[in-house]
Amino acid sequence: MSQAAVLPQQVATRRWRRGAPARVPYVVIALYALVALIGPLVIDYDPVHTPLTDRLLAPGSQLSSGGVAWLGTDALGRDILAQVVYGARTSLTIGLATVLVACLVGVTIGVVAGYARGWLDAVLARITDVLQAFPAILLAIVIAGVFARSVPVVVLSLSVTAWISFARVTRGVALSLRERAWVDAARVMGVPVRSIIVRHVLPFTVGPVVALATLEFALVVLAEAGLSFLGIGLPTGAVSWGQTIANGQQYLETAWWISTLPGIALSLLIINMGILGDQLTARYGQRRTRS
Amino acid sequence: MTGFRKMTAFAAAAVLLLAGCATTTGGSGGGGDPAGGRLTAAGTYPIESLDPHGAQGATTGTQLAAQAIFSRLVRPGADGKVEGDLAEKWEPGATAAEWTFHLRSGVTFSDGKPVAAADVVASFERMMTLDGPNAANFPGYKMTAPAENEVKLTAPAPDASIPRKLGLFYVIPRTVTAQDTAFFTRPIGSGPYTVNRFAPGEVLAMSPNAKYWGDRPQLANLEIRTIPDLSARLTALRTGEVDVVWGIPDDQLPVLSETDGLTVKTVPSTAVFTMWFNSSTPALKTAEVRRALWQAVDFGTIIKQLYPRTGALADGLVAPAVLGYAKQQPVGHDPKAAKAALESAGFDFGKKLRLQFSDAEFRPFVQAVASGLAEIGVQVDVLEKEKAVFTEDLLALNWDINFQQLATPTYDAASNLGRLYTCAAKRTGYCNKDLDELLAKAGESPDEAERAELYGQAGKIIWADAVGMYPMTVQLAYSWRARVTGFTPDPSGLPDFSHVRLAGA
Repeated sequence: MSQAAVLPQQVATRRWRRGAPARVPYVVIALYALVALIGPLVIDYDPVHTPLTDRLLAPGSQLSSGGVAWLGTDALGRDILAQVVYGARTSLTIGLATVLVACLVGVTIGVVAGYARGWLDAVLARITDVLQAFPAILLAIVIAGVFARSVPVVVLSLSVTAWISFARVTRGVALSLRERAWVDAARVMGVPVRSIIVRHVLPFTVGPVVALATLEFALVVLAEAGLSFLGIGLPTGAVSWGQTIANGQQYLETAWWISTLPGIALSLLIINMGILGDQLTARYGQRRTRS
Repeated sequence: MTGFRKMTAFAAAAVLLLAGCATTTGGSGGGGDPAGGRLTAAGTYPIESLDPHGAQGATTGTQLAAQAIFSRLVRPGADGKVEGDLAEKWEPGATAAEWTFHLRSGVTFSDGKPVAAADVVASFERMMTLDGPNAANFPGYKMTAPAENEVKLTAPAPDASIPRKLGLFYVIPRTVTAQDTAFFTRPIGSGPYTVNRFAPGEVLAMSPNAKYWGDRPQLANLEIRTIPDLSARLTALRTGEVDVVWGIPDDQLPVLSETDGLTVKTVPSTAVFTMWFNSSTPALKTAEVRRALWQAVDFGTIIKQLYPRTGALADGLVAPAVLGYAKQQPVGHDPKAAKAALESAGFDFGKKLRLQFSDAEFRPFVQAVASGLAEIGVQVDVLEKEKAVFTEDLLALNWDINFQQLATPTYDAASNLGRLYTCAAKRTGYCNKDLDELLAKAGESPDEAERAELYGQAGKIIWADAVGMYPMTVQLAYSWRARVTGFTPDPSGLPDFSHVRLAGA
């Protein structure tokens, strides 16, 4: 009743006011995506080239080549700004690839388990339970440590545990959906199982899965930086925030910019991803009873 | 009310946390010790075991502890020359295959029992039984005790480097069996110090051995702590929690030099940055190609920028203090000539060379080398490997260029050139019959001057054929607080604290 008394104009302003801070994560993430896409085309960077005469320059210093190191240089004279930009691309690529792989595997297993029930569900659910018992980062370290360093290995090692949450969420959704009237109707009409899953079950998982994917993405980016920091993730030729942060570790006192600036870039992305994930979860998230 | 409770709880937690920090970091503070004379040192490597014959026996940490607790027959002096420790004098037999050591009389272990030839022989046999890394220096060697104060070491073939190699051999009581690990929690030795407390990888606390035959150490307490994180170690030095620190990277030296009350000093070590080429790789088969690659890298600039105080352009295969060092013609930086030589040798620029190394501390240097090679179009895959993987690949020749910081702790080229560059060693894929002959002759000759000359000739062949690149000799940086006097930095990172005094103690 009270809503009727409020003018549409006022509602819009209130929504806008409430909405403005909520849009910040979208803007920030879009900015990162833009930098990751276009940045490397604008800024030239070769991780192999080490202009030693420019080493440990403070932000804003003049380079021997005539340019300006806006964010300073590292212990080998390489530009930090370029490393942040190229690192954004690496982080986003690995984050997207891992979430995609984890999503595909997790949703498939979750929907199959939830829809089939019975022994298949029991087996798949126990597998996810067993895997969940392992600390994710430890498993990632073992896998990344065993194989030679490369991007696919990092994606693999991070996906190995990332799919579990997707499987659990979709299984829950599928379990409740298969009892709904329209699914029953489809089954009675003789619609093949595959079509029922694709047309009547899967579309309902999209909301929670997208919300979850956002949160997982943030975790994956963080985990990748962690692996690179430990020196077991990407090959030395690749540029990664984690590597840059690790390289600057012993210069924290004398050349703070090497670790600090990529660190800020990383935390800004993670925080905004987290906020966005929370918003999406609030809107689309599946209310689950904790099991 | 709840807010206030939360506040108090938080404050209490904070106080507890701070107190916790204080006990862990400040407990062994050197400054205010009432008894005086407690010195705390923090080295580069952890002490994991006190057993000098075991698997950890060759590690720097165990060596550092062993030289404080145990005695050797002989030991390397500050100038690299062999000094007597338990042995007063020693001489070779008819050939260098047999060496006799005459023991000092009146030496006892810290429990008062005398050190006899039987202890030395039993220790040698224990080392050989355990087959640790130090035993590998004495394959098939036998030690006997022909008299009460005399031991004889017999080698299967003449080996003139025996006295220097024995610098890695420590004597413990004969009653200790090979599997006796309990002994090493509070070991009994005849060295300058005895152990009060030992926690592997954490701390080794010692006090002077009252029965030591030599000058009694001045310090009342010596504590060697492990602080793995470099910045934490340097902070501990600045706050006074630690008195001596070594193995400090070059970039940290200016900050320490500017700090009041700290002395910073570098000493030439026996280590040389050694970058072998795998001569069994088709692309690196010829000496012309290897030499050209060496020429392509501007090592002078790299060293000046990355190691201004702890590095110098090498002019030999081994450090100057090592027996067998000979000055070689420096290889100048000439990218144009390098490129031309590679082109005329038909070098395949499309193929990537695998450059392997192990420790993160060398990453900048290795990357700078890769950058230099890239400038003339040689592509390099920089592979940073985990230590075990690195060693396995190193022995399997699974690399094209290998980076190592190669030290010669025996101060004798026999354990460097003589061991690594023969055809039989198969370490670099390089094989040269003339070189083999020279190295064998140098290994057998009991005359030190002749050996130095022969190793010099061998070094010339290795240098000219560019079996590897030998860019830099390494200096070891030490820093200590003002109250520490009489401290001499050690070239091998194994400082001796027995002559150190503390001002005001």
